[in-house]
Amino acid sequence: MNFRPTIVAFLCNWCAYTGADLAGTSRLHYAPNVRIIRIMCSGRIEPTFILKAFKEGADGVLVCGCHPGDCHYQEGNYKCLRRFKLLEKFVCQMGIEKERLKLEWISASEGKQFAELVNEMTAAILKLGPGKVQKTLELEHLKTN
Amino acid sequence: MEEPRIGVYVCWCGTNISKMVDVEAVTKEVGTLPGVVLSKNYKYMCSDPGQDLIIKDIKSHNLNRVIVAACSPRIHELTFRNACEKAGINPYLFEMANIREQDSWVHTDRTEATKKAIDLVIGAIRRVRYHEPLQKRSVNVDPATLIIGGGISGMTAALEIANAGKKVYLLERTDHLGGQVARFDLTFPHLSSARQMIRPMIQRVENHPMIIVYLNTELKEVSGYIGNFKARLVFNGAEQPEITFGNIIAAVGLKPFDPSVIAEYGYGKFPDVITSLEFEDKLRAGRILTKYGKEPRNVAIIHCVGSRNKQYHEYCSRVCCMVALKFVHEIRAALPDANIFEIYADMRAYGKGHEEFYAMTTHKQIIFLMYDQQKSLPLIREAYRDDDCNMLIEMNELLSGIDIEVPVDMVILMVNMEAHDNVKEVVRTIGVSLCGNQFFIEKHPKLDPVATTTGGVFIVGTCQGPKDIPDSVAQAKAAAARILATIAQGSVPVEVTTAVVNESFCCGCQTCISVCPYSAVSFDEAKKVSVVNEVLCKGCGTCGGCCPAGAITSKHFTDRQILSEIEGIMSMSY
Repeated sequence: MNFRPTIVAFLCNWCAYTGADLAGTSRLHYAPNVRIIRIMCSGRIEPTFILKAFKEGADGVLVCGCHPGDCHYQEGNYKCLRRFKLLEKFVCQMGIEKERLKLEWISASEGKQFAELVNEMTAAILKLGPGKVQKTLELEHLKTN
Repeated sequence: MEEPRIGVYVCWCGTNISKMVDVEAVTKEVGTLPGVVLSKNYKYMCSDPGQDLIIKDIKSHNLNRVIVAACSPRIHELTFRNACEKAGINPYLFEMANIREQDSWVHTDRTEATKKAIDLVIGAIRRVRYHEPLQKRSVNVDPATLIIGGGISGMTAALEIANAGKKVYLLERTDHLGGQVARFDLTFPHLSSARQMIRPMIQRVENHPMIIVYLNTELKEVSGYIGNFKARLVFNGAEQPEITFGNIIAAVGLKPFDPSVIAEYGYGKFPDVITSLEFEDKLRAGRILTKYGKEPRNVAIIHCVGSRNKQYHEYCSRVCCMVALKFVHEIRAALPDANIFEIYADMRAYGKGHEEFYAMTTHKQIIFLMYDQQKSLPLIREAYRDDDCNMLIEMNELLSGIDIEVPVDMVILMVNMEAHDNVKEVVRTIGVSLCGNQFFIEKHPKLDPVATTTGGVFIVGTCQGPKDIPDSVAQAKAAAARILATIAQGSVPVEVTTAVVNESFCCGCQTCISVCPYSAVSFDEAKKVSVVNEVLCKGCGTCGGCCPAGAITSKHFTDRQILSEIEGIMSMSY
């Protein structure tokens, strides 16, 4: 069977989500495997959300917020960035390749950049193959039962 | 928790969605999921019959949750929330799935797009189950307005609001009102005097009892929220007493592009290569003279300087073509025998009376020469000793395809309009954003061009994008009308999706206090727990994101809701 990666994307309402909407209004085409979840600010993102997405079988997780200095809530994106750096290490230690987790800044006017970002990430994950978290979890589950 | 009774509505949006997403398949697929009472599709959910369908179903099927899969929630979330409210259920028991902007419009494979739509709707179904009713809140509106920028847009808005008897603080960082228009001589296309228009306006503003003008004043800091802002102003380096107001209009305008970065034009090197604004100065002074004090016999006007050129600015400044034609009339009147060259890239005469004005100008014995921006710019150089002119313009004339030399004594560069250097500071201070061209972003480019995504902050005039005087004035009056409407109402609805602390879980670490950008969280020393001030909270959720004890709930973006949405969108993927 052809591998079709699934990417879960967390987009802040003010910049990134609007940018993704702009990709739509500009009819820019990108890979259909991204599933977007809207949050008000990238600062809201808890590590749990990202880990949950991997656990549910996501092959990649994308987080997008406003560019530094442009946050609608002044500096939520910086707070996201700090937490993200720590999470990145943690995720790597769990055996998830670093290409599967990405944080990017997308402004409300960057529809094109968003479309390109999704395509690039999809291509990178296609090379890596399916995420292994879920399979590992299933094995663990079998072992413990 | 009450048992969810969910109604799902899939919108065709005409063919916008139905062309790429099999709406029938989506409707069928999600119709049997737990909690879903009914699942329907309709041509235009946002239309009156579409909304009526929801309202009727809520009543007759006793629905307590509603999902619409349609366009972006940024467009119609409010529409459907209102429909829910009309039918008697709390508007926050509604959720939208974006299957247009983020699905049908961006994908080309119908099977994949349909699959994605199903995933998104399932995500919404799982999420909406955990939605809780939230109560609307409103705050009183301070009837004063702060207007930043004393150009024609800012002054127009100020007069409009002040004439309705409401107070206006008009802030201008230079030492005079009038903005760019104060530098113009005549205006296009009627060749009426800018001075006769702007002078009386400045006087009316300065003498108006309801307008307080601050000249030479900078905006230091703005705090508060819609209806209740506060600002600190700095006049000549000294801080002024704090002012309070309910709404803000940004009318900061644009500034002329500095053409010295374009080597071909030699601006700064040749004294008689001047910008359009510098030429306006000459016109207002009543004399068109070269540096040598002579009347020029050959005048060239070069269009699109810094405009429509990826190296400088990709956008069109919209007014320069007509200003250039206006110059022709003024030069011809002053110098009947001069040779006038219009060196243009494209002639844009899109507005009311503009095409007629263009046609009229062609009878003024001028020479139109076209150049190709993509190929090369005209090159200005010094003339030879025995030439009968000061400078020569070397160019390839596009229509004839011939390389020519144009003799000139004066060159007017029709410079682009670009953002002020401090624009980033301004947007940060008032909490709005810029687009790629450094123009202020409107709430909706078509349906809400004067509001921003920040409640109570409006944008008018050229800071929103290059425009002429009539467009600036229209926008200023529109923003004034919006503000007067909220003042008349006396109160405005505010964010209800705020954060709330569960005191029994709070460990008193105060992490939330250190991350809150609005100082909305404080510490209750007696109870040793954090407390959120719901009036100050804007609902970003950062405190909830970092709370190690899980004591903070971001209303409408709770962990439970988001985690369920993740489960939902992933449930079909394997």
